[in-house]
Amino acid sequence: MSSILKDIKVKIMSRYEDYLTTFIEIAASAILGFGVGAIILYALGYDAGVAYSILFTRGLSNANYLLSKATPIMLTGLAFAIPMIAGVFNIGGESQLYVGAITSLVIAVYTGNPLLAIAAGIAAGAGLGGLIAVLKVYRGVNEVIAAIMFNWIFYYTILYLLTDKLYNPQIPHESLPVPSSARIGVIPTPWGEIRAIFFIAVLASLLIYYILYYTSIGYTMRVSGLSPRSAKYAGFNPERSIINSMLLGGGCAGLGGSLLVLGYMFSLDTTMSSLYGLGFTGIGVALLGRNNPIGIIFSAIFFSMLIIGGEMMELKVGTPTELADTLIGVIVIALALPYAYRMLISYIKTRRLIKK
Amino acid sequence: MIEDILFILTNTLIYMVPILLAAVGEIITERAGIVNIGLEGIFILSSFSATVVAFSTGNPYLGFLVGILVGSLSGMLHGVISVYLRGDQIIAGVGYNSFAYGISVMGLITLWKQYGASPTVPTIPVITIAEKYSISPITPLAIVIAIAAWYWLFKTTSGLKLRACGEDPRSAESMGVNVFRTRFYATILGATLTGIGGAYLSVGWIGQFTRYISAGRGFIALANVAFSNWNPLLAIIGGMVFGFFDVLAIYLQIKAQTVLAIPAAYSYLFKTIPYIGTLAVVSIFIKRARIPKALGKPYIKE
Repeated sequence: MSSILKDIKVKIMSRYEDYLTTFIEIAASAILGFGVGAIILYALGYDAGVAYSILFTRGLSNANYLLSKATPIMLTGLAFAIPMIAGVFNIGGESQLYVGAITSLVIAVYTGNPLLAIAAGIAAGAGLGGLIAVLKVYRGVNEVIAAIMFNWIFYYTILYLLTDKLYNPQIPHESLPVPSSARIGVIPTPWGEIRAIFFIAVLASLLIYYILYYTSIGYTMRVSGLSPRSAKYAGFNPERSIINSMLLGGGCAGLGGSLLVLGYMFSLDTTMSSLYGLGFTGIGVALLGRNNPIGIIFSAIFFSMLIIGGEMMELKVGTPTELADTLIGVIVIALALPYAYRMLISYIKTRRLIKK
Repeated sequence: MIEDILFILTNTLIYMVPILLAAVGEIITERAGIVNIGLEGIFILSSFSATVVAFSTGNPYLGFLVGILVGSLSGMLHGVISVYLRGDQIIAGVGYNSFAYGISVMGLITLWKQYGASPTVPTIPVITIAEKYSISPITPLAIVIAIAAWYWLFKTTSGLKLRACGEDPRSAESMGVNVFRTRFYATILGATLTGIGGAYLSVGWIGQFTRYISAGRGFIALANVAFSNWNPLLAIIGGMVFGFFDVLAIYLQIKAQTVLAIPAAYSYLFKTIPYIGTLAVVSIFIKRARIPKALGKPYIKE
């Protein structure tokens, strides 16, 4: 462990400039996002100043709520990041989370065993991720198209299952609840009780970090992502890496759905409002975290603040919660422009040199 | 029976329009070497702005024009990002989709205090064929646009130049083609055609804006691009095939409820048909497709 920490320290010191650029990119994207958001709020007739002050103060006021909301998007963030590192675009985190949630719910209801339920959720997500990868590798189907189609297919299929098969006879707009024996509890901390699912998600992120940077599977994935041709030359199989990365990514999203059901919601509503959008938010989480599992832990908490802040803003000043989608959209667009920021930095540097 | 066939046929002609227009637009964009997966977002934002204008002026044609203009502006944004700023085209598209959805639904809630759908707005009049059957004038327009796009891309010099930018931009540049400008205009043109599709969704067809108005059609259009092997003529067939799945879903839903009296919950299962159909078609046909060589790679001048 200490050797890993030392290794990380050396890495940070040697790549100081890189990290600085990354930091500037992230900060600039967030500022741009909030700036455009303020213009939109103003145009729609809301007070942006009041709205943002609610966002930042209320978004961070309850640690347990903040970290609980961060849990599923941290895992869907990993679901996007891992395949991205291997060169695949997994925007199917949405449906991979759905199948993880519903499978876990069913297993929990029928067996009452949380471990079995989690394992089944991970397997379901991984299976769906793997299927998209297999279609890409063997049938040449673009993973973006396949993922979106699966998102809709499972959206409707699960709506059907919830309304027709799994509903709670006492509360018809809710699914059968997770039995108490299968529920994941809370852990007492100096900041109050925090749901255990958050720590499980953090452990998963650390595990993924370890797999990506300290194992041969992770190494092959990274090489395949950077250059499939070099990977082939080195004797690796880039197609195998695509499948591995999608299995891992899908598994993470499945775990996200599983933890959400077993440790936070304990039942699903029949409109799926508690699941919808978590996969798409994960894309923003991964991009803001620069596809780094450690970075994703923090960016998930940041996005959780945005989402909670959005809810609070709706209560206090009536701004629609979709403001969060809008902000995330602008931030993601801004994050697509690393070259622009590098140009800006080098422009400022040259200007400074000229002035000297 | 004949009535059913006519129902499916006329409705396919209605449903195919956005999928065809966006696919033809995307073919032009991708032939020039730029991927724009923000089609879904353009559909949403164009249909929303068309609805707003048609609602406030009472004029569907004005709404239609504004919807198209919003498409062009979206294309301009994507063009600047992917051509001049060398941004990641897929990430920019994903972000744009989220942005367009967010801002449209915010507008829906702020303007009309509605969470699901806007009030109805006047639509562009349809052409009545027989007493019960009608088609929109946009359907023949979309087909003419597809044929014109095919002729332009494959039979004219400027079309050849555009395709060169997507295959081998460096050679194109050495032949005197301005790769940056060609790609930029191709992206705007593609998004403009998608904007026509989006405006059609609200003021040409449904008559209101709804939260999930595009329902993945932008991505079905992307599937159509690959299905048609980047050829606008085949995209017409693709549009019909994918439009047909949509109509089939609705037809079966109606039949299941009226004739077989199947519980309403099953209608969710019928709604998966277009997506399963799309997935099946791309899994079977795409393998032989030939992608433009320089697709999605930013061109860097030496």
